[in-house]
Amino acid sequence: MCGIVGFFDKSDASGRIGATILGMLEALACRGPDSSGVALWGPAADGLVARVKLGEGADADARGREVVRRAAGLARVQGATLEGSLLRLVVTKAEPRGLAAAIEAVGPDVEVVSIGERLEIVKQVGAPANLEAEYGVSRRRGTHGLGHTRLSTESRVDLSHSQPFWAHGTADLAVVHNGHITNYHKLRRIYEQDGVRFYTENDSEIIGLYLGRKLSEGLSLREALEASLRDLDGSFSYLAATRDAFGFAKDPFCLKPLIVAESEHAVAVANEEIALHAALPAGYRAREAGARAVAVWEVPEPARPARPRPRRAAARR
Amino acid sequence: MKTVDCQGRTVRQINEAIRRLVDAGEREILVRRPGARHNLAVGIASDVAITIDGAVGYYAGGMSDGVRLTIRGSAGWGVAECLMSGEVVVDGNAGNGAAASIRGGTVVVRGDAAARAGVGMKGGLLVIGGSCGYMTGFMMQRGTIIVCGEAGEALADSMYEGVIFAGGRVAELGNDAVVTDATPAELAEIRAALGRHGVPGPTAFRKVVSGRKLWNYDKKELEAWKAAF
Repeated sequence: MCGIVGFFDKSDASGRIGATILGMLEALACRGPDSSGVALWGPAADGLVARVKLGEGADADARGREVVRRAAGLARVQGATLEGSLLRLVVTKAEPRGLAAAIEAVGPDVEVVSIGERLEIVKQVGAPANLEAEYGVSRRRGTHGLGHTRLSTESRVDLSHSQPFWAHGTADLAVVHNGHITNYHKLRRIYEQDGVRFYTENDSEIIGLYLGRKLSEGLSLREALEASLRDLDGSFSYLAATRDAFGFAKDPFCLKPLIVAESEHAVAVANEEIALHAALPAGYRAREAGARAVAVWEVPEPARPARPRPRRAAARR
Repeated sequence: MKTVDCQGRTVRQINEAIRRLVDAGEREILVRRPGARHNLAVGIASDVAITIDGAVGYYAGGMSDGVRLTIRGSAGWGVAECLMSGEVVVDGNAGNGAAASIRGGTVVVRGDAAARAGVGMKGGLLVIGGSCGYMTGFMMQRGTIIVCGEAGEALADSMYEGVIFAGGRVAELGNDAVVTDATPAELAEIRAALGRHGVPGPTAFRKVVSGRKLWNYDKKELEAWKAAF
């Protein structure tokens, strides 16, 4: 069944996005008790932030030190802290795919769950309330965010199979999905022939990878979402967001719910209105998205966090 | 009028509170702070007037017989499903499957209805003030749907009987749906139904009914096999 939520703040780059997404997610917790997670786009880092799963049962501190050592081979490490089950690593600008590969070489169960200038994903097995206890999600600020509560139907229940899914290799792109991609196995075989690595048996993982490929071909997020209506089969309502844009797509047969409310200041999307009720002041008008619906909102320029200046330029001033 | 406040109560407690008031002979009930929750005011077998003061989740008013329910907000999936008689009015928009499988009564959606409104209807009347989504009237068996605005794709797909009156543009007719002219008597009935519920609508309507080609299936029909595979 799965609960998906998304919130886009049109006006304020420093809004309480973490508290909003968490509130929406808690309202939808009954749609999926297996795992929960959020993707939040906060202030731009001076470089990249990586969230790394250090593996299960291993010595987290030793693995963390090894991850830092490997990352330091590609970029200058500005900070590394262990929060819950995830290492938060801040590094200077690097190519995300190469950085992830270097980190994941530490061990077979080490996985980069997000990399971005603005994106950070935290997720875990269990209810949304645990997210707050482990990661202090409600303190986080930003322009937009996604959330997911999972009811597992096919693949296993663990942190890696939880959503949101980062589009491995594409900085700042993440997805949450409700539904079932029925041509997943066929697409996966094609992608694997191109050398793409899959981290889970979860069909939702392919959506982010698909969008990442489309963006790298030069498509906008809107164009990529529209293309997905042709290329993905099955039932889906999914939300996707990048550093500067937020959107959703819905399958041609309307098999999964997706309710949208837009006000002058914000857009809230979820698969039940009870989550919109948790995020918006009274007076909003909710509407179910129609067949093949695609919508995208862009972070307005004044609110868009500036890309940090290169250090040399700053030194010249 | 008696009031039931949803805040701090489970759905079961809310419905029990409503049911107790109905059993005590209350004729008007106001349900406050519904918070878009599911399954509110379901299974009401009385002609009591219930007003829900805000948006509701799934299946509001479902499985009821005789209820006069007003929802002052939007409704989620399956509003008024399986209604036997009575009247359910949604002031806002409705999610998928509004008035699914109703056997009688009237369901009014003043805003837009999403996909599969009136799916499997077996009687009654569904009035949609705005537009309707994909596959409205899918496998409808009896009853009437009036759509004042635009209709989405696959309108009246595979319907057995019943009739859909479309006031706006139809994106695409469904399988075996055919358009005929509404008679002056039918147009007068539409006007009367819209007038009763204060729904503004266009003056002209197209009538969509079953072509009845799917009623019988000829296994020697080559074209049917081609379409299926």
